[in-house]
Amino acid sequence: MGTIIEAVNLRAYYITNAYGVERTVQAVDDISLKIEEGEVYGIAGESGCGKSTLMRVLLNAYQPPLTVVGGDVVYTLDGERVSAAEMSDEKNRDLRWRKLSYIPQGSMHVLNPVRRIRDSFHDFISAHRDVSKAESYQLTAEYLRDLGLPEKVMRSYPHQLSGGMRQRVTIALATILWPKLIFADEPTTALDVVVQRGVIQMLKDVQQKEGSTLVLITHDIGVHANLADRIGILYAGKLVEEAETQTILNQPRHPYTRYLIESLPNLESRAELMSIPGRPPALDRPPSGCRFHERCPLAKDICKTVEPQLIKIAPKHFTACHVVEEELSHAS
Amino acid sequence: MQLLRTYILPRIVQWAVVIFVGVTIIFLIPRFSPINPVDDMIGRMTAFQTMDPQAVVLMRATMQDLYGLDGSLLEQYINFWQRLLQGDLGPSFQNFPTPVNEIIAAGLPWTVGLLTTSTIMSWLLGIFVGSLVGYFQHRRWAQVLERVVIVIYPTPYVIIALILMVLFTFYWPIFPMVGGAQGKPALNWEYISSILRFGFLPALSIVIGGFAFRFIIAKALATTEIASDYVQYAELAAVPKRRIVYSYIIRNTMLPHVNDLALSLGAMFEGALITEVVFGYPGLGSKLFTAISNADYNIVMGIVLLSIVGIATGSLIVDLLYPVFDPRVRLR
Repeated sequence: MGTIIEAVNLRAYYITNAYGVERTVQAVDDISLKIEEGEVYGIAGESGCGKSTLMRVLLNAYQPPLTVVGGDVVYTLDGERVSAAEMSDEKNRDLRWRKLSYIPQGSMHVLNPVRRIRDSFHDFISAHRDVSKAESYQLTAEYLRDLGLPEKVMRSYPHQLSGGMRQRVTIALATILWPKLIFADEPTTALDVVVQRGVIQMLKDVQQKEGSTLVLITHDIGVHANLADRIGILYAGKLVEEAETQTILNQPRHPYTRYLIESLPNLESRAELMSIPGRPPALDRPPSGCRFHERCPLAKDICKTVEPQLIKIAPKHFTACHVVEEELSHAS
Repeated sequence: MQLLRTYILPRIVQWAVVIFVGVTIIFLIPRFSPINPVDDMIGRMTAFQTMDPQAVVLMRATMQDLYGLDGSLLEQYINFWQRLLQGDLGPSFQNFPTPVNEIIAAGLPWTVGLLTTSTIMSWLLGIFVGSLVGYFQHRRWAQVLERVVIVIYPTPYVIIALILMVLFTFYWPIFPMVGGAQGKPALNWEYISSILRFGFLPALSIVIGGFAFRFIIAKALATTEIASDYVQYAELAAVPKRRIVYSYIIRNTMLPHVNDLALSLGAMFEGALITEVVFGYPGLGSKLFTAISNADYNIVMGIVLLSIVGIATGSLIVDLLYPVFDPRVRLR
């Protein structure tokens, strides 16, 4: 088991120039992470923190105004090392779905409304494999059966399916060619909890069957707790903490992560839920120093001026916080 | 059976009501006009010669009967329907006593031949090229094409027709100045080729005008379609661009296009008035033009009647075709 995808000092900005007014939004700023083969890696953070942007860059599927201004993404797919920065357009198209795949946010409208489900599958399969319509249909039927989806879905149109079923069909559509690396962007948002459970189970099944790697992006810590092996916490375009799921849930160190975990409802205690004061910063003018200092109850002077670096505080546990760093140096 | 009762039948009833109301209106309008066509006719006949008063009275009675102007309004109305249902549209005033039927029948094949071919050609061309340009809007060729069409589109049709005429009958006399055909109708190459030669310029002018209009619609529709989730998702999955243009973009914008085609074909019976006048083409349009200038009510009424039936039938066909093009309209 080696690293399957690695981001190295990745910076991705939205650069717009409307009527001479240049605006730069630093949606992904200096993020480095390594994801191991067969792992479920969760990326969490509140809305507007750069989750989806990070995912688009990791998937190497972005268009202007989003621009990668620094760093690189390196894939190791079946022993072959490919750098996103050096990849040709053709190679990129070739890797899609066969090696890298994507389960989109809000799958309500990602299926062509005038095509039967099986024909959408045929479109996607035949784009990467030399198959006849009949072969595609058979492949689809077998796969849907494996995943426990009813056979009549094949002949349906998207509007005839329920939201949960549509999301399941989309997951099947994204994974029909057994990709090594699957990105899922808010796969359970907009579904009710009962349906969510089924979808989460299905994601687990798909991931375990082939031992694929799943990069799961959602703001829903509950979903992460269910699925993820490791979680990276994103705040204002920066990775602020990364650890194994249990560590994040039980011993979060970064003040932001602590807020995030404490804001979860708990059935056992009826204590009032915490919410984080203030609002996330606008990323076209990010705050100096630590980007969280304006909302942080522990903020010191150094936080306002010096950007904290991601440091190792325990095995597999990294965080970027001056306060934590200080505590550690006092303890040792 | 259910489909027939809840979908098809109401639309057929609607079609009948539209035609009934339309016919009633064209019956009433000339009768509210202060000009009495019989007096007008007799006035014209007696303008240059004296006639026996007895004969004038007799003639007036005969003509009143022929024109259907006998009795009360209700009697006339019933009479009018009786004649209509027998397919009798009365005589032409100008070419008395030639029946209107015969005059319309003489112009009809010319107009139908010209407009079906040119409308369908401009429709296909407009959708195809417009959608392609909409999809590939950042390519050089697409931008050049769009600029050209943007110049053609607002140019008044008469000017396009006149430019074509001046260019191809005067500077390069490739095509004849007038439309129609030469020789006697027969199924031989000589006659058919003369139809093609004489009809080419009028057809070309309609194709150019119709193409520009449909190009702009198709391009606008394609542009919104590209932003849709399912097109974005198919692109992400590297589905071939050709498939995306056909099965995703054009297929999803078919409804407004079909609507346009059926209504344009339905409106065919008005004739291509300007085209036919400019090119001296012997179709319904030029008949209508002469009839209007000569106050030949019966011909005007006949042609208007035909186009009411044509447009109503066109929209009936669209309604019945909707479920074929959009599965969401289908009854569940």
